Amino acid sequence: MLDYTNVITKEKSYSGLQMKEIKPVMKLIIRGKKREFLSAIGKSLNLLLPTEPNTSSRSEKLSALWLSPDEWIIYSNEISNPDTNNYETENLLNKKISNIGLGAVTDVSDQFVLINMKGDKIFDLFETGSPFNFNIFRDKKGAVTQTILARIDVIIHNQNQNEVNLFVRRSFSQHLFSWMNDSASRL
Amino acid sequence: MFVINCPYCGEREQSEFKAGGEAHIVRPKQPTELSDDEWAEYLFMRKNIKGIQFERWVHAHGCRKWFNLVRDTSNDVIKAVYKMGEKPPTK
Repeated sequence: MLDYTNVITKEKSYSGLQMKEIKPVMKLIIRGKKREFLSAIGKSLNLLLPTEPNTSSRSEKLSALWLSPDEWIIYSNEISNPDTNNYETENLLNKKISNIGLGAVTDVSDQFVLINMKGDKIFDLFETGSPFNFNIFRDKKGAVTQTILARIDVIIHNQNQNEVNLFVRRSFSQHLFSWMNDSASRL
Repeated sequence: MFVINCPYCGEREQSEFKAGGEAHIVRPKQPTELSDDEWAEYLFMRKNIKGIQFERWVHAHGCRKWFNLVRDTSNDVIKAVYKMGEKPPTK
């Protein structure tokens, strides 16, 4: 991870809601359409990419989220080494995917900020600032959505009952986090 | 405000989308041979119907895919949604 001035410094806690940034986590955007692309990813990572809309898949080390019919984000479940921006998974995918023209691999580890949220009030918070209908989403483990929260683009991954990972672009993260804190204080 | 059924993501609220104007406008094959009037006709003139209109939309805050929509502009009722490259519904 690059040496950024960290914008989200504290873990925040409210009744029924805890929020903190998890870092450093490797995040990759991969794009491709061919069938060989899907099978090459599956073979090299031991992880099947979800092809059904708004779903995710998970292996021991990685999670893959569906973003669009030809776009996925892969992130590491565990925290990666803070001293380097060189990831084994990325190198492997570069070799197996982008170097032979099957698809594209982009490192977005520093572009996205991962905010982990826990508690039973997560969706009450989302409802105050998102047009998305979370009724089915909240009970579906592994569900993914790209939507708007407080007019900011976010990717939301339903990890488990009452645990959600939220991705937001770094330049928006400080504003979104302060908005979420403000909103959470009034739930 | 209305709900659009994105052909890739499912039902989402309109504020996640951006409108891209009238659909199925064919670019002239030989633009250099057109008169200024004909070129302006292609470039600027839109039907802007009150009633059923074919439109392009993009799911800007979701999957970022373009698709076509048949919408009644007088009451915002969506008649059909279909992907880019597919034939428009005849009815």
